[in-house]
Formats: sequence, C-alpha cells, structure tokens
Amino acid sequence: MSSLISLQNIKRHYEVGDEIVRALDGVDLTINHNEYISIMGPSGSGKSTLMNMIGCLDTPSSGKYEFEGELVHDMDDNQLASIRNRKIGFVFQTFNLLPKATALHNVEVPLIYSNIPKNQRIDKASKSLTEVGLHDRMYHRPNELSGGQRQRVAIARALVNDPSIILADEPTGNLDSKSGAEIMNILDSLYSRGNTIILVTHEEYIANHAHRIINIFDGKIKDDKIVKKK
Amino acid sequence: MFFESLRISLSSIYMNKLRSSLTALGIIIGVLSVTVMGTLISGLDRSFENSMSWLGKDILYISRWEWFSDMEWWEVRNRPRMKLSYEEKIREMSDYALAVSPVIQREASLSFSDKNTQTVIFGTNVEYMETVKEDIQFGRFFTQGEERSAARVTIIGSGIKDAFFEYQDPIGKYIKIDGIKFRVIGVLEKQGKFLGLFSVDYQAILPLGAYTRLFSKRGFMRLSVKVNEKKIDDAKSELQSVMRRIRGLKPGEKDDFAINQTKAFETQYNTLKFAIGGTGLFITILSLIVGGIGIMNIMFVSVKERTREIGVRKAIGATPNMILVQFLFEAIIICVIGGLIGLALAFGASFFINKIFPSTLPLWLSIVSIIMSILVGVISGIVPSYQAARLDPIEALRYE
Ligand SMILES: Nc1ncnc2c1ncn2[C@@H]1O[C@H](COP(=O)(O)OP(=O)(O)OP(=O)(O)O)[C@@H](O)[C@H]1O
Ligand SMILES: [Mg+2]
Repeated sequence: MSSLISLQNIKRHYEVGDEIVRALDGVDLTINHNEYISIMGPSGSGKSTLMNMIGCLDTPSSGKYEFEGELVHDMDDNQLASIRNRKIGFVFQTFNLLPKATALHNVEVPLIYSNIPKNQRIDKASKSLTEVGLHDRMYHRPNELSGGQRQRVAIARALVNDPSIILADEPTGNLDSKSGAEIMNILDSLYSRGNTIILVTHEEYIANHAHRIINIFDGKIKDDKIVKKK
Repeated sequence: MFFESLRISLSSIYMNKLRSSLTALGIIIGVLSVTVMGTLISGLDRSFENSMSWLGKDILYISRWEWFSDMEWWEVRNRPRMKLSYEEKIREMSDYALAVSPVIQREASLSFSDKNTQTVIFGTNVEYMETVKEDIQFGRFFTQGEERSAARVTIIGSGIKDAFFEYQDPIGKYIKIDGIKFRVIGVLEKQGKFLGLFSVDYQAILPLGAYTRLFSKRGFMRLSVKVNEKKIDDAKSELQSVMRRIRGLKPGEKDDFAINQTKAFETQYNTLKFAIGGTGLFITILSLIVGGIGIMNIMFVSVKERTREIGVRKAIGATPNMILVQFLFEAIIICVIGGLIGLALAFGASFFINKIFPSTLPLWLSIVSIIMSILVGVISGIVPSYQAARLDPIEALRYE
C-alpha cells in the first residue's frame, strides 16, 4: 500500500534577528492510511510546526513533502488552499469557530469553499453534526455551546469534506477531563471507521489512545514506535 | 460562491450597523449633492430652453441698455433715446435686416366690464410677429392699414383673455386701456414664465400709430431686427455701423447704444450653470474622498478584528482570492447602500424642486452615481482586502 504522507529531511527555519530558530531540523516521516498517531514532546520542540507542515498551512524551508503522490513543497497558495480544503481536517486547541455563525454554518463553510451547492451542503453538514452527537444543537452559536460541544462542532467541520487525514493539535487542551474523554471517544471511533488521525498532546493517557507515538525534541524526531497492534 | 461572499459580507455589515452607516454617510452626501445638482441643472436647462425659444436666436435687439453689462444706470440714462425714425433708416441702410420692428412699452391699466388689471402695453408695427416666436391663437394680428390709420385694435395675451373673458369669445369685444376703448382682434398663445421669473402672458399689443397718438412717444423703446441666424455676427457689425451713422458718431467715439442678442443670455446662463455644477461637483468629490477614506479605515479595522477568522477560513480551504472578494464586497456593499440612500433622498428632493420649477432627476445621472459608489467601494476596499488575502494563515490563527 502506498503511503499517505511522506516527509523527507523537512526543515523549517525562522530567522529572528541574527539568530536562526530551527523549528524543524530534518524530519523524516511516513504515515499510512488509517494510522492513529500521537506526537509528544516538550514545549517549543516543534510539534505545532510539524502539524502545520503536515496540514499544508506551512511550507518547508527545505526537504520534500509528498501527500498522496502530490508534491506539497512545490505548491502555490491556491493549491495549498485546495488541498487543505479537500484532504485535511483541522481540530484546534482553541476550537477556532466563526463566533457569529451557527454550528450548522460553521460546518458548512469548508463545503462553500469547495463549491458544493447549498442543499447538499446542508445535508452533509447536518449529517456531520449528527455524527458527533449535536443534531439538536445545529442552530446554536458557539457562545451558546459548552467547550466540549464547541470542539465537537470543530470535529464535525473537520470531517465534513471526507478528508484523508484529521489533524488535532492538543484538542483536549482547553477542556475538562470529562469533555476531553468525550472528544477522545469520538476520535477513537473515527479511527475505527478507517480515518487517519494525528494528535498532538502533552498527556500520556491521551497519547495512549493512539497506536503509534512519535516523540519530538528540538525539531527532530527522537523516537517513533508502534505501541499497539490495530 | 458569489452569493456566499455576498451573504458573508452582508451579515458582517449588519453586525456593525452603526459603524457601517456612519461610514456610508460620506457616500450618501456625495450622491445626494451630485444628483440634486443634476436635477437643478436639468430644470434650469429646460426653462432656459423655453425662454430662449421665445426670444429667438435670429433677432438683434437695439436699445440704450446693454444686457448683463455692469454699466451704471445713469450712464445708460444719459445716452440719447431711441427714435421711431430709426426704423426707416435701418431699412434703407442695412442689407442684413429682414424685418425691423420698433417696440415701445409702458405700464397701463386694462379693464373689461368690472374687471381690471395693471399690465404692460406694447406699441409696434406689422413686422412684430416676425421678430417673436409666439403665435396668434385666436383671431388675427393688425394690418398695415390699421397701423397707419391708428386703428384702436389690440392683440392680448392669453393671461388677460383668461382673466377677462374666461370662456367667452374675446374677439370683437371692447376693452379699455387707460380709459380708451380698444377692440380685441387677436389672442396670443400661452407662453409661460420667462426664465421662471415673470409671465409674458399679460401683455396687450397695439398698432404703433394708435400707441403714439393716444399714449406718449416716450417710454422704453427698442428695435427688434430679424436677420439670418447664420450671418448674425456680420449683421451685428453692419447694424453697429448703421447705428453709428444714424447717431453721427465720429471714429473713436464710443457707441451710445447697444445691440443685444440672445447669446448674452446664453453666456450668462452658462456662467450660472458652471457655478452650480462646479459647487455640486466640488462637494461631491470632497465627500466621496472623505467617505472613501472612512471606508478604507473601517475596512482596515475590520480586517484587523477578524484576523483570526481569516486564519480559520484559510485553514479550511479559502484561497486568497476568496478572502479578497469577501472583504471587497463588504466595502462595495456599504458604498452601494450609501449610494442608494443618497439617491432615495435625491428623489425626495427633486420632487420638491419640481414644485418650484419643472425639473427631473436625470436617469443617466442616477446610474452614474451608483457606478460612482461602486468605484469608491472598490478603490477604498482594495488595499485592506488585499492585506486580508495576503495574511499568513498560521500567524492569523495565532492572533489574539
Ligand atoms: N513565527 C515564528 N517565528 C519565529 N519562531 C517561531 C515561529 N513559530 C514558531 N517558532 C519557534 O519554533 C519552535 C517550535 O514551535 P512550536 O510552536 O512548533 O512548538 P510546540 O512544540 O508546538 O510547543 P507547545 O507545546 O508549547 O505548543 C519554538 O522555539 C518557537 O519559538
Ligand atoms: Mg504547539
């Protein structure tokens, strides 16, 4: 089976004044379909930078990035936007919903950007919300929802375009343990239904949901091991 | 996509109602001033056109008084009076004169049975009708014989006819002019107000013979000379030298008479039009610039406030162009709404202006002012929108 994602010697450097910050310093990584991966590491080690790279929000200073056979490191802004729209679902620590829009509209937005007609959008968005158990909250705005519910809207939004991969950067970081557990349940079931998930976390017990755990230190992969069989 | 961007922009404007409407104020004033100005000018044009057609572009008016000159009144008064005898001399000496009509006028009181009115009477010759654009509506003008024999006949304006006779036939009836009986033989067509100022429908025209015999030879006098419109400039200089010979002026002496033509009105009118147009345009441009800067400012604030939203939209697949269009639409919509409000107010205003004098808001100007609003939206929205489109998604997502 061909790999979903392949990173070869990826570097991401920032110039801050005279200094060069090596946020990623030569990362090699291959990810296959239907993997469930946790990325761990101390603060500032480059986890978010790696997630942004995988999520095509960022482009490498050097190195080669292939996503389902497409060369991401050569793409322009429009191509990157398109691949994010079609293939990637983001879940952020701070939810990042549109504050003035309903849950339904929030989930609908990615479909707008892929030119899907209105009736199909409503269909898909409400199906997606139902999947995360929010069928009775479709017309609520983010400020009328709990943190856990907001994160579930965000997951529904990430799922709605049937992405190849779901990227979650500390998805439970802003939640109490009960809501966090709910979110992890949803991610687990998405994985068991065939989705590919990458998750950044500081918590051992969260990381243990995954079958593969990658440790990062100073922009390099320190270790990468399979902890569970599928 | 188009409608979605429109919807996103509309909801964002709605959520910032007060701010948006304050910003639109400049556009409202801009559109209002340009359209009201246009309405005024259209109305002026119309009444000017009407009045000018009454005067005639092929007529030269010789009198002591020069139209629109800044000559002192006493200077004019010190000039020699116009004389009836000039008519014959001009006929003899001028090749350009096609018709010559002396006109003497004064105030007089007219009465019919128990009705009376104060008005202006004219004494003139048979060629008068060739030097004016108005026509006889009922009856006829007087004849050469009636002029020579000082027949007591008169042609009255439609205003007098309405006031004295209502639905009766005025032809053959006798009216009194300063107590003297005159037979009505004709009625002039209704003319309306001259330049919207005074009505020319309350006049009575008498044969020169009767006028000079029964009233005085004095009073304000002018000579209307009809010429070929195409040769009016040559005709004017010929008449000038004819008049100088009549008056016996030596070379170097200044003219002590004036030859006027409708062009003088046109020049004067154009000055007025430019003044109104210029003022309107100045206010318009100024308020559009101020409005445009205001909108640009609001858009910059809006982009700043919504940096995170822009980051989210980009993360889930918005291309730079989609973001650009969203913000550009927002600026354009504010401007167009402002423009439409301005236009609505202008329609209201033109309704009132129309009551004062006939005028309409020209359609092309309404369209132009909306296009202008769109342009202001594009110009003032493009830089902030471009800035939004260029935002780096990671930076934007991290923005607090
Ligand atoms: N825009 C930037 N300019 C300069 N340096 C940056 C920038 N973004 C990230 N860095 C640096 O890159 C390094 C990696 O940052 P990153 O956000 O990936 O860390 P992280 O592992 O996600 O940390 P945390 O656990 O605190 O979220 C850090 O040293 C950070 O200071
Ligand atoms: Mg991080």
